[in-house]
Amino acid sequence: MTAVAAATIDPPEDAVVVIDGVSKHFGAVAAVDDLSFAVTRGQVCGLLGPNGAGKTTTLRVLVGLERPSAGRARLFGADVAPAAPALRRVGAMVEQAAFVPHLSGMTNLRLWWEAGGGRLRDADLDGALEVAGLGDAVHRKVRTYSQGMKQRLGFARLLLGRPELLILDEPTNGLDPGEIREIRELIRALSERGATVLLSSHHLTEVEQTCSHVVVMNNGRLAARGTVAEIIATSGGVYLEVDDVDRALGVLGAHPGVERAARQGDGIAVDTAPTVRRSDLVEALVGAGVRVETVTPLQRLEDAFLHLLEAGAGE
Amino acid sequence: MIALVRTEMTKAVRRSRTIVTALALVALPVLIAVAIHSRGDRPRREGGGEGLFRLARQSGLVVPALVLAVMSGFLLIVVAGMLAGDAVAGDAASGNLRYVLIRPVSRVRLLLAKAFVSGVLIWLSVALVVAAGLATGTVLFGWHPIHVATVIGSAPGGAASLAPTGVAGAFSVIDISAQTLLVRLLEGAAYVAIGYSALLGLGTFFSTLTDSPAGAIGATIGAYIVSEVLDAIPELGRLRYGLPTHYADAWQTMLTQNTVSHDMFAGVGVQVAYLVVFGALAAWWFARKDIRS
Repeated sequence: MTAVAAATIDPPEDAVVVIDGVSKHFGAVAAVDDLSFAVTRGQVCGLLGPNGAGKTTTLRVLVGLERPSAGRARLFGADVAPAAPALRRVGAMVEQAAFVPHLSGMTNLRLWWEAGGGRLRDADLDGALEVAGLGDAVHRKVRTYSQGMKQRLGFARLLLGRPELLILDEPTNGLDPGEIREIRELIRALSERGATVLLSSHHLTEVEQTCSHVVVMNNGRLAARGTVAEIIATSGGVYLEVDDVDRALGVLGAHPGVERAARQGDGIAVDTAPTVRRSDLVEALVGAGVRVETVTPLQRLEDAFLHLLEAGAGE
Repeated sequence: MIALVRTEMTKAVRRSRTIVTALALVALPVLIAVAIHSRGDRPRREGGGEGLFRLARQSGLVVPALVLAVMSGFLLIVVAGMLAGDAVAGDAASGNLRYVLIRPVSRVRLLLAKAFVSGVLIWLSVALVVAAGLATGTVLFGWHPIHVATVIGSAPGGAASLAPTGVAGAFSVIDISAQTLLVRLLEGAAYVAIGYSALLGLGTFFSTLTDSPAGAIGATIGAYIVSEVLDAIPELGRLRYGLPTHYADAWQTMLTQNTVSHDMFAGVGVQVAYLVVFGALAAWWFARKDIRS
């Protein structure tokens, strides 16, 4: 995992997205504060953080909708500005998909594409419509669509230009479980074809299943960045089944490397400092006469995510 | 730019509000013409527009001028305010604006396209009113020249002016051919349309300040109402000459005069100045603002 204290970064040569010391202030409020990370070609990077962490603001800066108060955002090596040419290589969905409600889905797609000076026959319309899966409904007015239909039409729109980079802000909002799976598979398929993906999501399981890398934000700042495996490893969580839970809690509570130990079901959930090995815990328990039945690492992104947020809150 | 104009025009004309407005702009002139026709020769209360009401019975060519005089003071202002104020704010409210900008599209070009489309639709609104009034007026009153009673020496430069009802004095009668009437009508309509340029500039500017179309439209129409209120205060003196509504009615005497008045030139100048200043402000602000919608 990359150190979180670095204010700026030295981006790799194949970086598609670079957020370099970006801050965004709204009056006295810092929505994003000295944020730096990079996404290299082919990565599927999840942008995680609680509500208000600054994820959407970061993505808005990245697509030129908002100007950073400090720092700079780069796409494909070029600084981002409103109407930057690099945006033509990007398919973006920022917050919910939105359309002209009194026009049909098809007309919306056509007008959006033509607004950029393109001809619809040059776009990947068939592929986009296949993704949307709206059938004849694509000829209905968008105001009659459900939120899920709008999201799918939004995906169709961002795929019209065969983008090299997808920037997705909560892309599965409003979708049912089947549609979420379809979108997850679509992102995976696009990634396998070489597209780079940066997505923010509240669905940690989805990020864990879809992403290769993760950037965690909290209070506008970078909390952690690295591969999913590296982030998960930060949790140091372990689940223990023992013959005497009360006695084990006493032993673990006195252990200097244990940050938290709590009864969970028939066993104990333990959070430790990253330096503590699981064998250290077992040794301490056995030394105190506690029999250890099972030791199960809590290797889930959700645990790591919450651990990082709690660690950030404690600073 | 042409593609942008085409997409913005498609978005604007296909909304049901635009279609309903267009129907209203056709229906009202028809109603007014029918009302004049059904009123017969009964005398009308004295006041503004009485001259045009009387003349409208002579020729259908006067009906569109009368209709414009009736509708340009409020209804067409509301329509123009809606078109201008909604241009950016309407797209922002639906969330569509951010996707157009991500496409990517230059903000200034987008604003120009939106303002151009609003301007064209404002002109079309005036044209609809004139066309509906002309068609209905011709059917009901025919395509004739008019005979105008004028007070001798009442107008500067020897131009004849329409005699108000009940004025005593020396009169002469002049004839205005149908062809001349038509030309003056078109000049008057063009002046009315140009007269909404300030409103277009203000509306476009307000539209970039907010994501609420109702707010932008309200501010635009409100600015015009304030202008009319201020214009009614003579103590403001020459300051009133710079108000966007000061010369709004300057075209109305043209129908019976030989020349385009000085006030009309001044009116066009004021309108263009407002359009340029507030259009530039709108472009400057829109190019820099954060898109939060």
